[in-house]
Amino acid sequence: MDITRRKFIQVTAGTTAGLAVSNLGFNFEEAKAYSKNLKTKFAKETTTICCYCAVGCGAIVHTSKKTGRAINIEGDPDHVINRGSLCPKGAAIKQLSENKNRLTEPMYRAPYSNKWKKVSWDWALSEIAKRVKKTRDKSFEKKNSKGQIVNRTTRIASVGSAALDNEECWTYQALMRSLGLVYIEHQARI
Amino acid sequence: MTNHWIDIRNSDCILIMGSNAAENHPISFKYVTEAQQKGAKLISVDPRFTRTSSKADIYGGLRSGSDIAVLGGMIKYILENKLYNKEYVANYTNAPFLVNRSYKFKNGKFSGFDQSKKKYDKKKWGFKTDSKGVPSLDRSLRDKNTVFAHLKKHYSRYNLKKVSEISGVSKSKLLEIYKTYAATGKKGKAGTIMYAMGWTQHTVGTQNIRCMAMIQLLLGNMGVAGGGVNALRGESNVQGSTDHCLLWHIWPGYLKTPRASNTNLTKYNKKWTPVSHDSLSANWWGNTPKYSVSFLKSMFGEKAKKSNEFGYNWLPKVDDGKPYSWLDLFDEMYKGKMDGFFAWGQNPTCSGANAGKTRDAIEKLDWMVNVNIFDNETGSFWRGPGKDPSKIKTEVFMLPAAVSIEKEGSITNSGRWMQWRYQGPKPLGNSKPDGDIILELGQKIKSLYKKDGVFKEPIVNMKWDYETHGEFDAHKVAKEINGYFTKDVKVKGKLCKKGTLVPSFAWLQADGSTSSGNWLYCNSYTEKGNMAARRSKKDSENKIGLYPEFSWCWPVNRRIIYNRASVDLKGQPWDKKHWVVKFDGKVKDGKYVSKKWSGDVPDGGWYPMQNPDGTKRKDSKHPFIMRKHGHAQIFGPGKADGPFPEHYEPIESPLRKNPMSKQYNNPVAAVFNTDADKYAKPGSKFDIVCSTYRVTEHWQTGVMTRPQDLLMELQPQVFVELSEELAKIKKIKNGERVVVGSIRASLECTAVVTKRLKPFKIAGKTVHQAGLPWHYGWRWPDFAETGNVIEESSNLLTPSAGDPNTRIPETKAFMVSISKK
Amino acid sequence: MTKSFFIDTTLCTACRGCQVACKQWQGLPAEKTVNKGSYENPPDLSGNTYKVVRMSEKERNGKLKWFFFPEQCRHCIEAPCLETAEDSSAIYKDKTGAIIFTKKTKDLVADDIISACPYNVPRVAKNGILTKCNMCVDRVHNGLKPACVKTCPTGAMQFGDRSTIVSKANKSLAKLKRKSSKAQLIDQKDLNVIYLVEDNPKYYFKNAIASYKYEGITRQMAIRKIFRPLTNIIKAVERIG
Repeated sequence: MDITRRKFIQVTAGTTAGLAVSNLGFNFEEAKAYSKNLKTKFAKETTTICCYCAVGCGAIVHTSKKTGRAINIEGDPDHVINRGSLCPKGAAIKQLSENKNRLTEPMYRAPYSNKWKKVSWDWALSEIAKRVKKTRDKSFEKKNSKGQIVNRTTRIASVGSAALDNEECWTYQALMRSLGLVYIEHQARI
Repeated sequence: MTNHWIDIRNSDCILIMGSNAAENHPISFKYVTEAQQKGAKLISVDPRFTRTSSKADIYGGLRSGSDIAVLGGMIKYILENKLYNKEYVANYTNAPFLVNRSYKFKNGKFSGFDQSKKKYDKKKWGFKTDSKGVPSLDRSLRDKNTVFAHLKKHYSRYNLKKVSEISGVSKSKLLEIYKTYAATGKKGKAGTIMYAMGWTQHTVGTQNIRCMAMIQLLLGNMGVAGGGVNALRGESNVQGSTDHCLLWHIWPGYLKTPRASNTNLTKYNKKWTPVSHDSLSANWWGNTPKYSVSFLKSMFGEKAKKSNEFGYNWLPKVDDGKPYSWLDLFDEMYKGKMDGFFAWGQNPTCSGANAGKTRDAIEKLDWMVNVNIFDNETGSFWRGPGKDPSKIKTEVFMLPAAVSIEKEGSITNSGRWMQWRYQGPKPLGNSKPDGDIILELGQKIKSLYKKDGVFKEPIVNMKWDYETHGEFDAHKVAKEINGYFTKDVKVKGKLCKKGTLVPSFAWLQADGSTSSGNWLYCNSYTEKGNMAARRSKKDSENKIGLYPEFSWCWPVNRRIIYNRASVDLKGQPWDKKHWVVKFDGKVKDGKYVSKKWSGDVPDGGWYPMQNPDGTKRKDSKHPFIMRKHGHAQIFGPGKADGPFPEHYEPIESPLRKNPMSKQYNNPVAAVFNTDADKYAKPGSKFDIVCSTYRVTEHWQTGVMTRPQDLLMELQPQVFVELSEELAKIKKIKNGERVVVGSIRASLECTAVVTKRLKPFKIAGKTVHQAGLPWHYGWRWPDFAETGNVIEESSNLLTPSAGDPNTRIPETKAFMVSISKK
Repeated sequence: MTKSFFIDTTLCTACRGCQVACKQWQGLPAEKTVNKGSYENPPDLSGNTYKVVRMSEKERNGKLKWFFFPEQCRHCIEAPCLETAEDSSAIYKDKTGAIIFTKKTKDLVADDIISACPYNVPRVAKNGILTKCNMCVDRVHNGLKPACVKTCPTGAMQFGDRSTIVSKANKSLAKLKRKSSKAQLIDQKDLNVIYLVEDNPKYYFKNAIASYKYEGITRQMAIRKIFRPLTNIIKAVERIG
């Protein structure tokens, strides 16, 4: 049995849809509407490096000049490593920054409390500074059990972070070391 | 990575073992694919058949924890079939060094083991030297006391039958893997290894990697394009944060943290500065005092003076021989020996092994500071599963951090590229960049100590001028990390003005005339500008994808380290097509008469070891400049657990005996003994080998990915992967909820029954293997949406046992049970 | 000029960057899913999902294969959905060759359009509009590649002028044929989304290849089945037969 498509159409609904559509071609007006509406057209463009694994892919961030928020993030085609490509996590970065679940205020949980309380930055940092000083001063060891100078506290510890920028890492280690911490660790150890 | 991502495309054979690059470093597959399309072979060795394995030419399924057996077998194969690059091995590695007779290996242990202290005396593994301490050697490799001879002897035991019995990989598959990979020993061929936590997270983690490094040295694969030992680091700036040493044992640039016995700066420098009397050894760490003093100058600025040892004693010291690592930290905290804690950009209650212990430990604190983008299982631990807030005293400060696209600064990728990124949107709401939080906290602490306080000098004297218009200025810190001349000085005949940036670490001084927060980054931000921000797409002349003017990489923009091992003794590349560096100096009468290297920044610009006529040069240096003796270490006497990698069973194993020797576990592995540290014994109900891992769609503990529904849609729930065979035995149906238990905890998850896992035949018995992703936790998304705890962290199950060198926990091989819910 | 995709499944790592990039660019919401014993998710194309990477495990000649198939609209050269709709304000062909569904698809009989598709692609969104991949024509008209193609790490997805893409596809096929005798380009002549597979397309995904379950209907016909309802086709075949 050899049925051509034409014949098939004839024996069924007898429609001429195929012809009609091919005469219409495409709708140019609609296409133009699409081009005009490219959502990134008037956005601010900045480059970034992906915040997940350490391949170090480049991405372009489109920030709306109206809202000040990211409206699109996609691979940077001029980046020599990823050449515009991104994995699913990289492709979703916009949802990392534009996310209703984000922390946007400093929070405090008092001893034995069952809830968070919104606090100001100034209060939070001042209180933390006081805690640091109190614990450090109380526990500071100038010498160890052998009588050697150690100038440290072992009662405060820090973990983190590979999620910080280099400049932040360096500044953070400077602060922690100047406080006398020896328990300084981060993701590289796990 | 000794090499970098793009360089993978230059490889002839890619071994992916201890990592799952297609899933966890997806863009690396751009270059794996490119290499394959040019004819390279891809070998995947993994307990599971992964998305990486699906693209491999050869797949070998091995039992978790048997990597050294498989690699040791490869060493045997290479040696027996003489597939190594002899010229390379004899001249660039310590294979020709003569080992002291006190070195011995018997019954699975090396000489020098102290049973009571559970420690080795590493002095027993030294080299024979002349009176000046220069190793005696036999470059013909014939002497029976050479490293090479010991290597042969050690791995002669790793025969196919034994390796197969331990690993479960069939003998024919082993041979196929060995043959394919060892083919890169041919001069001009390159093989590369891509590994990650699948190798580090074992009680033999360091030795897993050393074993592969030894293979790379035997095959002449170090320093060459398409070769190297490549750690695929898992976080965007875990390389940079390691370089800047947010770690207990090192100062920025891998300088040692002072030990209590290093009572002053002179003693510190003496202790940690290696000395070589071999005129052919560059012994780069001989520069240590320049780097340590420059670091102190960055820490304390003008307050660091020669008269106060540049503030050396203001910084804390650790006790000799005592570890302060992650596992130790939480062990101390669990014992109630800590009061305050910062969890900055990290989620230890899900990320650390034996996470239940961590959760209980935090409860004993007075206060905790948790800085993150999202609330997490750490910040909210007090309202987590099994916790009663009314009984938990710990005060918690939770600070909202900005997302990476909301701030400016640099991060360093796995290939050591430091890349600058810019601010797009401003920080959301009242969140702040971490840099601002650190800076302001520092200011507050400083002002408290200005009034009074115990030993306040380091705090008040710390240089802390990194703000511009009241905000953290990443450029200012980047410049400090690079370093300045602190006075007008003449270096190398050139006048360097005070306040100008140091051009590179070759200019750093030990007299306080230079500062540098991290010598490895000296050259990254110079008077020429911010090197990390460069964007040129022009490749180097050797056309191997170095892109030398795109970003910047340490050290001194050298894209492939150990690159002088990519050339023969006369400075000519083993691989003429994919050459990295080559010596292009002028030749007269068979001798080099001018110095010129082409290609990548060479690992030191000295003349080659030999002239074109084969005569030796005295003005050359051995290529492995970071080693005291200039040679790469096939024999590694500095490791805690022996100079050669040896197969030991994981702390939790399905076997009652180690088929390789009488020594069951790594005798110096880190184990703990609180009531929260339990280890399953063979023969218990925990009879299934398990490993944790990551999937493409989530990241680490999932704190950043679980609050994103676009990613949750792809991998919504914690799951356990198991074979069809095991599922049949346990009567488990694909997709149903099951319980995975270890001696420490149990976890409910969804069963993924798959052909991609197969039972192993190990030492005559059937051993099942399972696997769990570790991305989940109770806080997101379920608790947020329903108030219920549904998905939990697989690290509740993993053991707090660690590698003796790094103390990284053994989360890649432990024992579990699986049952229907 | 007509544009085409070339999807070389042998290079696909199922990272699913394409699935996310599609939703990110198109602004499509995520679906609430559960793990049903596989990595594959969401379970199917939907009003909010235009692309799903299908995964299947098969043992072939003693070797385990994990086949990946990024499923999406094939942008048929002569599209049965379009021919069935008979309404260019609802379904039309863009100058790129993209088959575009407009808001007016709401007024079409959804079942007819869906059953007309030989690959079972179109879906009804909550608001009654029919949806599927639109080739990111907004991007394409602005000289950008579709979001999924651009994000693909390995080059498994390529996009360009049809002639260039077809010749690339043929070259890749010839190369793959040397390794796998069963290699084929799926329904290449009829589609602007050309898949290269190394084995029977049915092993990848049930709708990888145009279905033609009734005797007497050739593959070509199945692709172009513009009949509704389905029973008519059977009747027609019976009549001719």
